[in-house]
Amino acid sequence: MKGTVEPLINDEYTGGPPTKRVLARLQEKRKEGRKIAGVYCGYAPTELILAMGISPATLCAFSNATIEAAETVLPANLCPLIKSSYGFIITDTCPFYGLSDAVIGETTCDGKKKMFELITDLKPTWIMDLPQVPDEEEAIANWTAMIRKLQGFLEATFGAHATDEAIEESIRDINRRNAMMRDVFEFAAERPAVVGWRELYDLTFLAQGSSGKDMESVLTEALAKLEKRRNDGYRYGPAGAPRVMVTGCPVGGDAEKVFAIIEEAGGVIVALDACSGFKPYMTDTEEGTGDPVRALAERYLRIPCSCMTPNTRRLTEMSRLIEKMRPDAVIDVVLQACHSFNIESHKVGQHVEKVHGLPFLKIVTDFSLGDVEQIRTRVEALLESC
Amino acid sequence: MRAAGLDIGSRTVKLVVIEDGRTILARKGLTSHDPLEAARTLIAGADYDVIVATGYGRHLLKEHLDCPVISEIKAFALGAKAIHAPCRVILDIGGQDTKAICLNEAGEMAKFEMNDKCAAGTGRFLEIMAKALNYTLEEFSKAALLTEHAEKINSMCTVFAESEVISLTARGASRPDVALGIHKAIVSRSTALLRRIAPSGEVFFAGGVALNECIRALIAEDLNRPVVVPPDPQMVGAFGAAIHAASARPRRESAKRGGSGGHDNSERSV
Repeated sequence: MKGTVEPLINDEYTGGPPTKRVLARLQEKRKEGRKIAGVYCGYAPTELILAMGISPATLCAFSNATIEAAETVLPANLCPLIKSSYGFIITDTCPFYGLSDAVIGETTCDGKKKMFELITDLKPTWIMDLPQVPDEEEAIANWTAMIRKLQGFLEATFGAHATDEAIEESIRDINRRNAMMRDVFEFAAERPAVVGWRELYDLTFLAQGSSGKDMESVLTEALAKLEKRRNDGYRYGPAGAPRVMVTGCPVGGDAEKVFAIIEEAGGVIVALDACSGFKPYMTDTEEGTGDPVRALAERYLRIPCSCMTPNTRRLTEMSRLIEKMRPDAVIDVVLQACHSFNIESHKVGQHVEKVHGLPFLKIVTDFSLGDVEQIRTRVEALLESC
Repeated sequence: MRAAGLDIGSRTVKLVVIEDGRTILARKGLTSHDPLEAARTLIAGADYDVIVATGYGRHLLKEHLDCPVISEIKAFALGAKAIHAPCRVILDIGGQDTKAICLNEAGEMAKFEMNDKCAAGTGRFLEIMAKALNYTLEEFSKAALLTEHAEKINSMCTVFAESEVISLTARGASRPDVALGIHKAIVSRSTALLRRIAPSGEVFFAGGVALNECIRALIAEDLNRPVVVPPDPQMVGAFGAAIHAASARPRRESAKRGGSGGHDNSERSV
């Protein structure tokens, strides 16, 4: 059976950008008197922020429209995500930033680090120094200290508090959320997949700053619908469509053009292996260690971002995902001037081709639409070879 | 059955019609600002049963002619293999793209690399640089072959390279030396792209830039590998599309689609 099925999240925001749904939820939280902390990156420790009674809000970073304004200050030859983020702030067009009482940033890359310097005066801002050789004992000790310092900042700024028991409870809650998200991903692993990238992305975007409790009803409903789709023999996309895994830089908003091109070329995206996709949900924090903040530090330093070195975990995690999702091709999306993902792409390509024997394509792009036809030619050629 | 391949490139449109694997018609024209009209003009009066489109304008054709499309990468792989059976490595430098394609032992596309999204180091780059030196394309290649000494061109961005050419000529550099420098710049960029996916073996060189004698010589010299250039390197993509059309199942209505009326493009039977 193919045809229309009930959307996994069926509300007034269905079919539109996932940001509006999240914004409405945050506005509700705000009405309840909760404080909001704007975050830019998956390294911001959600469990701690939530344990302190604060809601994390992912700040806008994916629009081409704000880049022109950003380039009045920032160099043009910079990552579009950083330019867009900054442009949103100086044009005052990011509603999430507007809602935020404070901003949390991390020293993931030089571009972000220096951009943060330009916005620290606007709102209470806390920059976490992220260690980048993550398996060193000192790295874990330092990141533990940084999380504690963030806790101190949030206490000082909001008068919010969290006991270690509350942080431990938050860890368990987020682990439950992550496990349910992984259950959802299992339905993309089905052959044929019973869910497409848009619905996966809606869920990964919504879950980002949400607690397990807040996600429970949405995910329970989504899982029931997916189960029904599978039992009814529903299939997402054309019969025999090549399955594509997308990896690399975060993708959202105007960069979704790449996802659209893949589908237009006849592919089905079965895995979104970026921090805007599955990555935040793939690993859990160890429970019951007696030191929940150190447990968080260990878990966050296991995020295989290209800012880490040597980022071998990216390859082992990718292998795990490839074996589960069984893609026919892998596409690495690199945002223009993102040196770490760009250079790492060589290793990723070798790994995908040599270890998994899969065709690999690297796409370097930005948020403009100028290169859509060039990308289309490459993607079509890749899928023709599947 | 007569099978046609139409390659709507960024600078030129090409049509090849084959019957029993032999080319019976080959035409080319300029893409201009209206690729659909250019394609229509090119296929007017041509006699074929099935047609497949490729090149940048392929989706436009798909919309208007309701014909299947393949990417130019696949088209070049098919065409090159049919023209030169032992072919495993293809370099295609067209109007706005440079592609390196690697075939597996079965002759299927195994891997490809393309230049960045801008037209640096492609046919369009050559055209603009020739113009900056006040040469025609033919004179440009010949001039570069006249000299041994090349002025180094450092910038591959078309706009910056043009400024560099102007500064060089303003400093009194000889035109042929600058011309050779530009040719070398394109070649080093293309061979770097090629080496990334195919470090050894004979190279099948196609696309409009393969018509340039100086580029051909420099590529062979730079790679120190045999370079094979087909008799009409611009037609490889259209030929590959025609082969695909011939091998695909005949379409439901294999009516002859060519319209009536003449055309101003060069026409040859091969």
